[in-house]
Amino acid sequence: MSFDQNAFLIIFTASLISISCGLLGVFMMLRKMSMTGDAISHAVLPGIVIGFFVSGSQRGLEVVIGAGILGILATLLIDWLKNKAKVQLDASIGITFTLLFAIGIILINMLAYKVDLDQECVLYGEIAYLPIDLWITDAGFSMGPRITYLAVLNLVLVSAFIFLLYKELKLTSFDENFGLVIGLPAGAINLALMSMVSYTTVSSFEAVGAILVVALLVVPPATAFLWTKKLTSLIKLTCGLGIFIALAGYYAAYLVDSSIAGMMVAVGGIIFLGSAAIKGIRPNWAFGTSTPGKPLEI
Amino acid sequence: MIINVDSPILEIHDLTVSYDQSPVLWNVDLSLPSGKLIGILGPNGAGKSTLIKAIMGLIPTSGGYVKLFDRELNDVRSRISYVPQRESVDWNFPASVLDVVMMGTYGKLGLFKRPGKKEKKIAMDCLEKVGMQSFVDRQISELSGGQQQRVFIARALAQEADLYLMDEPFAGVDMATETAIFQLLKEMTAAGKTVIVVHHDIHSAMNYFDWIIMLNLHLVASGPKKDVVTEELLRKTYGGKLNLLTKVTDIIRQKDFNPLKN
Repeated sequence: MSFDQNAFLIIFTASLISISCGLLGVFMMLRKMSMTGDAISHAVLPGIVIGFFVSGSQRGLEVVIGAGILGILATLLIDWLKNKAKVQLDASIGITFTLLFAIGIILINMLAYKVDLDQECVLYGEIAYLPIDLWITDAGFSMGPRITYLAVLNLVLVSAFIFLLYKELKLTSFDENFGLVIGLPAGAINLALMSMVSYTTVSSFEAVGAILVVALLVVPPATAFLWTKKLTSLIKLTCGLGIFIALAGYYAAYLVDSSIAGMMVAVGGIIFLGSAAIKGIRPNWAFGTSTPGKPLEI
Repeated sequence: MIINVDSPILEIHDLTVSYDQSPVLWNVDLSLPSGKLIGILGPNGAGKSTLIKAIMGLIPTSGGYVKLFDRELNDVRSRISYVPQRESVDWNFPASVLDVVMMGTYGKLGLFKRPGKKEKKIAMDCLEKVGMQSFVDRQISELSGGQQQRVFIARALAQEADLYLMDEPFAGVDMATETAIFQLLKEMTAAGKTVIVVHHDIHSAMNYFDWIIMLNLHLVASGPKKDVVTEELLRKTYGGKLNLLTKVTDIIRQKDFNPLKN
């Protein structure tokens, strides 16, 4: 098979996006906040629409800022409902993101004649158009696919964020109260993580859509966690899975001529189910009917 | 009976804490000496953990203030260490024993800086103190309850603080571990540290602590063990529950009652 530049670009970009999502997803999972990631990915819609309306294009910085603000707003609203109004976490997530998403849909319809944006685009995205969506400089020189640049920038920022705040993220994910006691700004770290998730969602929605971003946030970390109990290997395995999902998803989609993003997530889901089955079955034949014991109490 | 001290390490004035409008701690007013092993006693729901959390600023208070080392909490965080209840975290977290103990050094490190050789050495020393040095690379999900508790204590030691607040460090721990931990706490107070422990077993508390705080929503007593351990104060703290306990002991003593014989 000859080198297909378009295929390479799509797989490369999809890998970047799934690594960014996976890196953040690991910490979301460890904080038991995976569904907050889901909420954020939907709640950013009004921010995207307003940013789009203000800047007049979906390339504007305003879109990212708008989405970031809405992401933080969603996080704060969820926390407020949970802590102050005493609504259960799952219910407060359900209330928050559907409300904000609905506002987004209303805004899209109200502004439909002014902005080139629809729910389909935000929800599903289409990575197959990536090679023809080029970044063209003012001088008319083509620099290559725009979304690839966005994905590279996103990955650089996400990696830097996690590299710099690795120990803080680790501690506050494990034991937030202890973090507060030793004087870490646990609330600020949490909000920073949520902002990164919002930004990553916005940066990726054109390629994979707001719904499938959730899968990339949740599935690779959850799969990796079935195989390892070490944080560094968990992160590495998540990245590896992200790349594999992009690669296998592209060729599976190519084979049956279907949606690439959809196929990526389907591949991820199959790997997860397979891992869960292997991990779930093994103790049965390896240990008989008894559950594997804990080391003796000393 | 509430005995106050001069130049206290911890001073609580008129502290009131409430959850959802209903107060769980009323007007707690006490001061504690330094270099002592201090026990907080009281029945379930007496507000023992709440008091510790309020001291550490983990829950909002509705009145009063707390002063540590005669300063505000934020000025002296590096001198205070905290051992939360073992059940307060998910032990399935992907971390090794060493990772968790190193977390104790993060407060002094500050933002963005990574733990290095010095921090690792501190963590190893602290693991040795609690007798867990052979578990350094063990994942925390593979530890028993008593081992988890010792890891938490090692993490607190790694903070190298002067005041330690421990929430039920003896809960779900076997006798050998309890004795070992208590021995360690005694060594710490001998070295001038102050240790405050939430404890629920009255009998062992009588042996362990120098200073005892008795709590049942209100502060019942605070003072040296010999002064505050009286039947009247214990009865006030535990109410009917202690009554039942003493009755049973009395019956056993009087009638030489042995349920196994009958």
